[in-house]
Amino acid sequence: MGRKIIIEPVTRVEGHGKVTIRLDDNGKVIQSRFHIVEFRGFERFVQGRPYWEAPVLVQRLCGICPVSHHLAAAKAMDVIVGAGPGKLTATAEKMRRLMHYGQILQSHALHFFHLSSPDFLLGMDADPAVRNIIGVAALDKGLAVQAILLRKFGQEVILATAGKKIHGTGAVPGGINKNLSLEERDRFLKGAAPLNIDQMIEWSRAAVELFKDYQRKNKDVVDGFAEFPSNHLSLVRKDGALDFYHGVLRAVDAEGRKVLDDVDYQDYLEHIGEETRSWSYMKFPYLRALGKTNGWYRVGPLARLNTCDYIPSPLAQKEFETYKAYTDGKPNNMSLHSHWARLIELLHAAEVIKDLLLDKDLQGTKLVRKGKRVPEGIGLIEAPRGTLFHHYRVNDNDQITMANLIVSTTNNNEPMNRAVHWVAENALSGKPEITEGMLNRVEVAIRAYDPCLSCATHAVGRMPLEVSLVDARGRILQRKIR
Amino acid sequence: MELLKKRRLRGVVCDANYQLNVEDALACAEHEVVVFVDAARGLRKPFSFTKLRPAPAITAMSHALGPAAVLAIAAGLYGKTPDARLLAVRGRRFSIGEGLSAEAERDLALAMKFLTDFLKGVRP
Repeated sequence: MGRKIIIEPVTRVEGHGKVTIRLDDNGKVIQSRFHIVEFRGFERFVQGRPYWEAPVLVQRLCGICPVSHHLAAAKAMDVIVGAGPGKLTATAEKMRRLMHYGQILQSHALHFFHLSSPDFLLGMDADPAVRNIIGVAALDKGLAVQAILLRKFGQEVILATAGKKIHGTGAVPGGINKNLSLEERDRFLKGAAPLNIDQMIEWSRAAVELFKDYQRKNKDVVDGFAEFPSNHLSLVRKDGALDFYHGVLRAVDAEGRKVLDDVDYQDYLEHIGEETRSWSYMKFPYLRALGKTNGWYRVGPLARLNTCDYIPSPLAQKEFETYKAYTDGKPNNMSLHSHWARLIELLHAAEVIKDLLLDKDLQGTKLVRKGKRVPEGIGLIEAPRGTLFHHYRVNDNDQITMANLIVSTTNNNEPMNRAVHWVAENALSGKPEITEGMLNRVEVAIRAYDPCLSCATHAVGRMPLEVSLVDARGRILQRKIR
Repeated sequence: MELLKKRRLRGVVCDANYQLNVEDALACAEHEVVVFVDAARGLRKPFSFTKLRPAPAITAMSHALGPAAVLAIAAGLYGKTPDARLLAVRGRRFSIGEGLSAEAERDLALAMKFLTDFLKGVRP
């Protein structure tokens, strides 16, 4: 008799979804799907609201990456108030960059140490009761404490730039509403150990070494796991450098050939399409140039290091060269190498934060600029999990009439499905018994993309996810609910 | 939280987050008494006030943590177990919107009075 596996919820991801794996009578996988099972239309909620409220309102989308939505919406509103790319004051742009790189630091640290390192340091088959940050602490208490303090430091940077921990108001249409005081700057630069930027850089370097060491010793686990070719999309700086805050769209295929290059993201609709499928509320974006079948792509750390030409900070650039050499300069399509890429980005973020803190423009007083008001604006940003699109139209009464959001996790919808399918085929198919460790591998594959399912469905908060094992007749034979 | 801050209670530190996370374990470890406050679903009275203990094991985790998991991390990493309580205030509607309903405002006022009295009774 065929079987069906349901995993619900997938743990250690933001929000929840559902994985269903259908097996035939011989236990062979015949179908696997990563679904999103709840939808609450946030895009409808913002309609009718004054456009200047958007950067604050959209932060309610998610508890883990409110800064990404705050900044993407602010960038779209910059366009609407006539202060689009290149028109912000130096203080405004650099304060926003500081906020964003602080976010990258805290988010990447949280993801690797808190959510993913238990799978590596304790093992994918370890007892789930200890496969967590406390288990990591039992193994290496200093590492667990570093993880918390990296996250805390990033959060403090966000607080100093956004003004508030919740519903930050730092970014406003056309600029920023505060600069960085000398007192704040000095706290980050010279604060008592360990909460200063030099310590963060040092710990970030150590984190990259930790992963490299693990990868060297466990190539069989890391390299082949959920490896599959794909296209890759991200913003890059105009000169091809890695940039999380602003740039042009670039996409490469699995061999590194450029599919999109130097594309102004105001024209994203000409290049990105969104497909709907009946079994998921999450859309499936694709590159129009390659069509629905072949145009799907990855976003996030793995994609960013595949699309950019170099990293504009010395320590991260050195690590980037080692990372690129591992695949002979070709795009890296190994899902678990996302963590390697993420940690190189963590190091880059720490280096950029230090550079920004030393920049006197952060104490400037010219905060906002405005120009000719237009009815439509698009803001893009490289959120921790990948490219984030915010698109708004505004009427003559300054009310939002249309909002379209394509979040990082939606961009990674097809890759996450492919990763789940890889695990189903390679770890579960044909096995007489499905163990917890096997099912955890499904989650490991999903976690590599650090999905934020609250964002992806534009829902707020609760959204359980399950993994189900289903027989050929559709009966649930095994279900995993955390 | 803003209301509580305005009362300037001696020795009381207020903090608000989108969701609890690992760094909150550090904050818990640095205090003798910790009160977690949040809106609650399905509560039949205006508020409830219960003692919290560290979770014996963290098996379900996302980017966000529950109060018991935060306490477990505080205990595991810093060896500290503060006297922790959960003040759950009855929530009425949780869909996207703004502001509190009149009923929620009333429940919150009752909960705030209780919390203020409790905190005044805690010796710093």
